[in-house]
Amino acid sequence: MSDNAKSPKLRLAGVTKSFVAPRTGQQTLAVAEMNLDIETGEFICIVGPSGCGKSTVLNMIAGLDVPTNGVIEKDGQAIPGPGADRGVMFQDYALMPWQTVEGNVGFGLRHGTPGQDLTKAERTQRIAHFIDMVGLRGSEHKYPHQLSGGMRQRVALARLLANGPDILLLDEPLGALDAQTRLILQAELLRIWGETSPVTQRKTAIFITHDIEEAVLLADRVVVMSTHPGRVREVVTIDLPRPRAGTARTNPRFGELVEQIWSLIRDEAYRAIGGDEPVPALTEKATV
Amino acid sequence: MRNRMFDSRRSVLIRNITLPVLLIVVWQIWASTLPPGSPAPAPLKVLQTLADLLSTGSLVSATLQSLGRVLLGFAVGSGLGIAMGLAMGASPAVRENLDPIIESFRPIAPMAILPIAILWLGTGTPTALAIVAYASFFPVLINTVHGVSRVERKLILAARTMGVSRWTILTRVVLPGAMPSILLGTRLAMGVAWTAIIAAELAVGAKSGGGGSGGIGQMMFVFYAYNIDLNAIVVCMAVVGVVALLIDQMFRLFEKRLIPWRH
Repeated sequence: MSDNAKSPKLRLAGVTKSFVAPRTGQQTLAVAEMNLDIETGEFICIVGPSGCGKSTVLNMIAGLDVPTNGVIEKDGQAIPGPGADRGVMFQDYALMPWQTVEGNVGFGLRHGTPGQDLTKAERTQRIAHFIDMVGLRGSEHKYPHQLSGGMRQRVALARLLANGPDILLLDEPLGALDAQTRLILQAELLRIWGETSPVTQRKTAIFITHDIEEAVLLADRVVVMSTHPGRVREVVTIDLPRPRAGTARTNPRFGELVEQIWSLIRDEAYRAIGGDEPVPALTEKATV
Repeated sequence: MRNRMFDSRRSVLIRNITLPVLLIVVWQIWASTLPPGSPAPAPLKVLQTLADLLSTGSLVSATLQSLGRVLLGFAVGSGLGIAMGLAMGASPAVRENLDPIIESFRPIAPMAILPIAILWLGTGTPTALAIVAYASFFPVLINTVHGVSRVERKLILAARTMGVSRWTILTRVVLPGAMPSILLGTRLAMGVAWTAIIAAELAVGAKSGGGGSGGIGQMMFVFYAYNIDLNAIVVCMAVVGVVALLIDQMFRLFEKRLIPWRH
């Protein structure tokens, strides 16, 4: 480990991904020349308009997609493919409908690499611990279809954590929730990530979102991406003090950061929904 | 709310039963106009014959023999169907190799392989098993392939990010994900298998001159070709129908048990 002290937790170097359409053979560049170093314990949010390749980046770090060019290194080693050290929380939960809450949370521990060295009792204990942590005690034997959206998201979170990854990859995990549930889960996410703990005890998190305010609330740095092709437009450091849950939104700096990031993606966001350049005067009025 | 549901269930039951009862009554009235000693079947005579056949035990043992053949043949056929269906669903290479063969055999009805089966396997249980296995194989296979193709891709990706091996993904994600479809396939297969066994036993009965091969189909053949007992034939037909109904109900019950997340 000490050998790798110099290398970042995660390094994306010249990462490029292009897709070839099966019939036409036409190449689409989804992500171009992405460079990013992420340190241990950092919370990174990636924002950008639809189609900027955010999910592709996450899938490549997860090992589910392979970059066309460039390398992704973790602790100085090229990632070998999917692995439980990089846990993914999917946008629509991806829970097994035939498993109960308990079965879903324990899926990786029972059937994958994370539980290899554990006894049956240790697994059961670990599963119960994380079900408790996300506040689902009493619902262990329910099936996903019997749960609300917020509860399913908690199951997905417990499953992610039960597998003990050191990097958390979160693909718009709160996108489908109503506003109040979202606020609650944002605060919980910060607590579970380790906001109140020293940096060394925090997990490394990469979080994709459409919601700029959410990104500012959660992240140490916000990676702003632009489309066609997807590339890093700017990396904005969020200098709000932690812990932020509850208080950060009232800080005037919060609004400034949101405004700064919005100004970076505004033009493209307008283009994405209207197909036209925004009329500058109108845009300015609309944001006042 | 609950009461109303119960009421509507009862009225459905009444509507389900009214017409059959009416038909049987009309049938009995018609039969009572016939001269005594007429061979035409009548409900009361059918009941009498049923009692006779039950008391000798021959009806029960013939039914059990047919059922045993169906269950064994079905187990072989659907086991193969599920295994091949999973392989075809999981690997395009396997699917592309097997598809033409399967599609060419599928339209060949189970009865159409009977001549070859009799010549190779004789007129006993092996032929019956082969027919039933053949009949149940296709519905299970096709529904398994369909079920595997419908498994949500994201679940497989999620399992991969949890360090789950390919084989375990097949047994723990793909198989349960395809289970609703597989169960539908087995239910269809069981229906086809039961139809096939009766037809096979009838046909084998003809070939073997009525002796030896056993089963309810063969029993029907004997009543048709030697004793000419229409009431007994009707009894056999009714038993075949009731058994089919019971099997179907049993499968629906299994379905609820095996896929609780759907109910």
